[in-house]
Amino acid sequence: MSFDINTIIYLLEIIVGGLLVGVGVHFVPVGGAPAAMAQATGIGTGTVQLAAGSGLTGLLSAGLMMSVTDNIWPILATGAVGAMIMMDATMLTGSWIYAYAVGAPFASAKVNYDPITKFSQPPYVAPGTVGQGIPTVCYVSGTIGAAMGGIGGALIYYPLVQINGNPAMSAVFAVGIFMVDAVLASWNIQGTIEGFHDPKFKKWPKAFKSCLVATIILAVVAVLITPIGGV
Amino acid sequence: MTVGGGAAGAPQALDPKKIRIYGLVGSVIGIYLAWILNSVTGTNIFSFVGALAALFGVVLGANAVRRVCAYGIGTGVPSIGMLALGMGVVASLFGLNLAEQLGVGVLGVIIALVYSVVFGYVIGLIANRVMGFNIPIMEEGLFDLSGAGTMAILGWSFAISGSLAYADIVKDVFNTGFLAIIFICGGLAILHPFNANLGPDEKQDRTLVNGVMVGGMATIATGICALMTLGFAAGMLEIVVGFAVWYYFYVWYFRLAKRDASAVVGTGLLPPSAL
Repeated sequence: MSFDINTIIYLLEIIVGGLLVGVGVHFVPVGGAPAAMAQATGIGTGTVQLAAGSGLTGLLSAGLMMSVTDNIWPILATGAVGAMIMMDATMLTGSWIYAYAVGAPFASAKVNYDPITKFSQPPYVAPGTVGQGIPTVCYVSGTIGAAMGGIGGALIYYPLVQINGNPAMSAVFAVGIFMVDAVLASWNIQGTIEGFHDPKFKKWPKAFKSCLVATIILAVVAVLITPIGGV
Repeated sequence: MTVGGGAAGAPQALDPKKIRIYGLVGSVIGIYLAWILNSVTGTNIFSFVGALAALFGVVLGANAVRRVCAYGIGTGVPSIGMLALGMGVVASLFGLNLAEQLGVGVLGVIIALVYSVVFGYVIGLIANRVMGFNIPIMEEGLFDLSGAGTMAILGWSFAISGSLAYADIVKDVFNTGFLAIIFICGGLAILHPFNANLGPDEKQDRTLVNGVMVGGMATIATGICALMTLGFAAGMLEIVVGFAVWYYFYVWYFRLAKRDASAVVGTGLLPPSAL
């Protein structure tokens, strides 16, 4: 338990990582059970599952890069790309099912015009639903969110490995921190969100504050763990 | 929670304070009992007692989940179970490591428990004050949940490693990746009962019995892991104990499910005049 300037840097890295995860969740188009029935926009599962999925893929790819280099930048980039690939693959295959199996047009109920394609949305929203599928803006937003989650996961994992030198334990610990931040953020958005164009997105400062407090408590504990008996 | 239909006959719900005391004290005593039995006899055959201790934590956690989620948290019940286990992983690692650093190895369980309940309470405060959940029992609910998650992880980790030493638990549970099994199976035991039984006629005894039942299945899973880390005898014993717990509580759960099920009365086909 040696406390020096490095410890403070590790502490800051973990806190920034936790905050990235917390804010990144707000970008991911989560639809929950209604989206699974094509009655709401987004991916048809819960925030925690999506955040955990992208975060774990980010962790895995970051860990892979970490086995070849100690430089933080390629590790962060790999984490981000891994998470983005996971999230994009999920959204893409989900879109195929919405388009070809369910037969629903992709439409957002939160905006009148898709901010990216400028396509009109309301004519395509089926009555009684709040949009269907994953429109372009949600797809882009989800990719940004996954990148933030991946960088966040890698940013938590990297200092942990430096501190305790045990990749397996660091990964589990990072998952623990990841879960806490992702759940807090998903409580903040009350389960469903479309992306950065959703009015609910304006609530992110609340999640920022909550994740800040939670991650500080976790990070202080994380930097205190030191290797004992060779593990 | 006696709204809606369902047959009569469910006993009065147990007081959450009582369950909290039984859950926390029971699991701590259970883990230490397992540790004492193992070190006194010099074997690892009593590791299954750690898994039984985890069941006390599971009951506490399942009760906390049903209390908090009855208010509706908007994200589905699984999120809160994952939160509990996430906090539990961090707390148990920290507790074991700090205890070893301070030279009071066996007190790791207590340190982990204290850290986790404080952290859980803070998360509850955040949820209510910052996010505006306004769930009156959020603080104590997360206090219980994070304590329960920690005790479940510690109990089942003991069931796999047979020791409370930090180095052993990291070697047998974390480096082997068996923690993922504890994470998901233990999480299921805490979050699944309310998820499966929720509804207007949700009864406390049925939910908690379901929790112990899933806990028994998690014990079978850790028993299979223990075959690799503790050897055949201890692992098999754990599987058998887990199976016994699962079977006993499955039968009990089935009985309760029949008790609470609504009676379906056959009215025959529609009369010909109505067709």
